[in-house]
Amino acid sequence: MTAMAVETATAGDHDAATLPVIAAHDLRKTFAGGSVVAVEDADFQIRPGEFISLVGPSGCGKSTLLRMVAGLLERTSGSLTVHGQEVTGPHPTVAMMFQKPTLLDWRTAVENVLLPTEIAGRVTDADRRRAMDLLELTGLKDFAFSFPSQLSGGMQQRVALARLLQTGADILLLDEPFGALDEFTREHLNVELLRIVNEVRSTTLFVTHNISEAIYLADRVFVMTPRPGRIAGIVEVPFERPRPLSIQQGPEFNALVSRVRATFESAA
Amino acid sequence: MSEIGDIRSPQGGHRRTVILRHVGIFVSLISAWEIACRLGWLDPLFFPFPSAILTGFWRLYVAQGNIWPHLGLTMAEVLVGFVAGSAFGIGLAICVGMVDRLRRYMKPYVVILEATPRIAIGPVIIAAFGFGWTSKTAIVMLVCFFAPFVNTLNGMVGVEAEKLSMFRSMRASKTQTFLKLMLPSALPEISAGLRLAMASALGGALVAEFIASNAGLGVLINQYTSTLNMASAFVCVLTLSALGYFIFRGMEELDRILVFWNDRDRTARVGERRKAAWAAGKGGKS
Ligand SMILES: Nc1ncnc2c1ncn2[C@@H]1O[C@H](COP(=O)(O)OP(=O)(O)OP(=O)(O)O)[C@@H](O)[C@H]1O
Ligand SMILES: [Mg+2]
Repeated sequence: MTAMAVETATAGDHDAATLPVIAAHDLRKTFAGGSVVAVEDADFQIRPGEFISLVGPSGCGKSTLLRMVAGLLERTSGSLTVHGQEVTGPHPTVAMMFQKPTLLDWRTAVENVLLPTEIAGRVTDADRRRAMDLLELTGLKDFAFSFPSQLSGGMQQRVALARLLQTGADILLLDEPFGALDEFTREHLNVELLRIVNEVRSTTLFVTHNISEAIYLADRVFVMTPRPGRIAGIVEVPFERPRPLSIQQGPEFNALVSRVRATFESAA
Repeated sequence: MSEIGDIRSPQGGHRRTVILRHVGIFVSLISAWEIACRLGWLDPLFFPFPSAILTGFWRLYVAQGNIWPHLGLTMAEVLVGFVAGSAFGIGLAICVGMVDRLRRYMKPYVVILEATPRIAIGPVIIAAFGFGWTSKTAIVMLVCFFAPFVNTLNGMVGVEAEKLSMFRSMRASKTQTFLKLMLPSALPEISAGLRLAMASALGGALVAEFIASNAGLGVLINQYTSTLNMASAFVCVLTLSALGYFIFRGMEELDRILVFWNDRDRTARVGERRKAAWAAGKGGKS
């Protein structure tokens, strides 16, 4: 208890209940011997259950930041903690989803969903039931035994989403997961994502370069600017989650879009 | 699904006309050959009468039956050499592919060996292993080694970076990453490598037998040709054509089984099977 209190004091002004799940302090990543600064002095704290959108133009370092949180990429300097522990490599409470579905072609949808369980250890009947439930949650109940080649791009990403949830991780990192899909499918999947994330109560870090999408999904939007990649501002989104798509038409929503745009421009 | 299948593959009646046309073309070709021989347009010394080849088949396979030991030997050389050579190639590629440092240094050696005509080493091998079946099998092994080796290595190197990241983020062990990702990802290329190897195995065995041997179809062809028994030589050649054809079809079938997910109909069938296995409580496993 005392250890926790000390943690809280150093981490910021949060009480024990809202101890940050992810915290970065002066986080920095450079490539090519320091000549390319991909992420500069990132400082942020993410609370449990929060949905954060990371928005910014191509090449500003969004993927780099995400891969550092996932433990796939070493940071150059600064500190980065997940559940209060310094990130030193992939962590079982963190799972990542990529722009491409990255499904295994030789496995059916449900076998793909079971992959994380297989890798972690033995697959039990309970795991199999859970995989089926997750496919139902992502709307693919009738396609559990289809192979990726028999599924559309949108359906493949749903399988990848179910697989992400099967890991049991409470921190979900999504790197433009629906970026390769058409507008209709993407909007639909965004609504679903909000519903699902609410249901499993995960902390979510979602990368996109679409401003409306970023605002629609998030509790807070981190606005990143390139060269060097830094978080130029954080925009709070006051709407309750989950939300209907129609909020995107309101004046309040448009004001938020303007705020995000203004953050970009003030940084440029 | 079945309607699509019907459109793509020729329907019953259509297929019959295709077969009839094939028979027609075949009979015309053979007749033309026979007529050309009888009219003296083709020298029967080098191009024997089709009828003579036909009786040759009877003689070699039934009346004297002397082709069997040679056919058996050549097939054994091909089979053993293929299995051993490609297993060695795939195995070595896996060892090299799993060690990043080795992989980087292997490249020039692979290229040099690739560029060397395999059969040039034939006489060396014969010198080392003698005239028996071992040297021939060794040559087939050599011929069958490279395509599976290079393809397996390429397949393993070609695994998408994002998939590797995914396995890393799931904290998969090296063995898991290999068995569940790299090996299956490389299967299409491995299968293609096996097909290439098999295609050269038969030729490799024959050339080896031509160079130096005391038995095998290559030896038989040499013997018949030197005694100007062309009809019998043609029987051997046609036997090899048939052998090559069946080997080719066999490898195609193997590819469809190994890489089922690249074949639409087979994918659907495997899906049904896995569904049934799941329902039976065994669960899915790849
Ligand atoms: N492995 C690497 N080696 C060198 N430079 C890199 C590497 N990975 C990323 N970079 C550089 O770091 C910067 C940020 O890249 P990053 O992939 O994080 O951008 P991003 O915001 O995800 O872009 P996008 O929206 O196009 O995905 C870019 O300038 C990129 O060229
Ligand atoms: Mg990116």
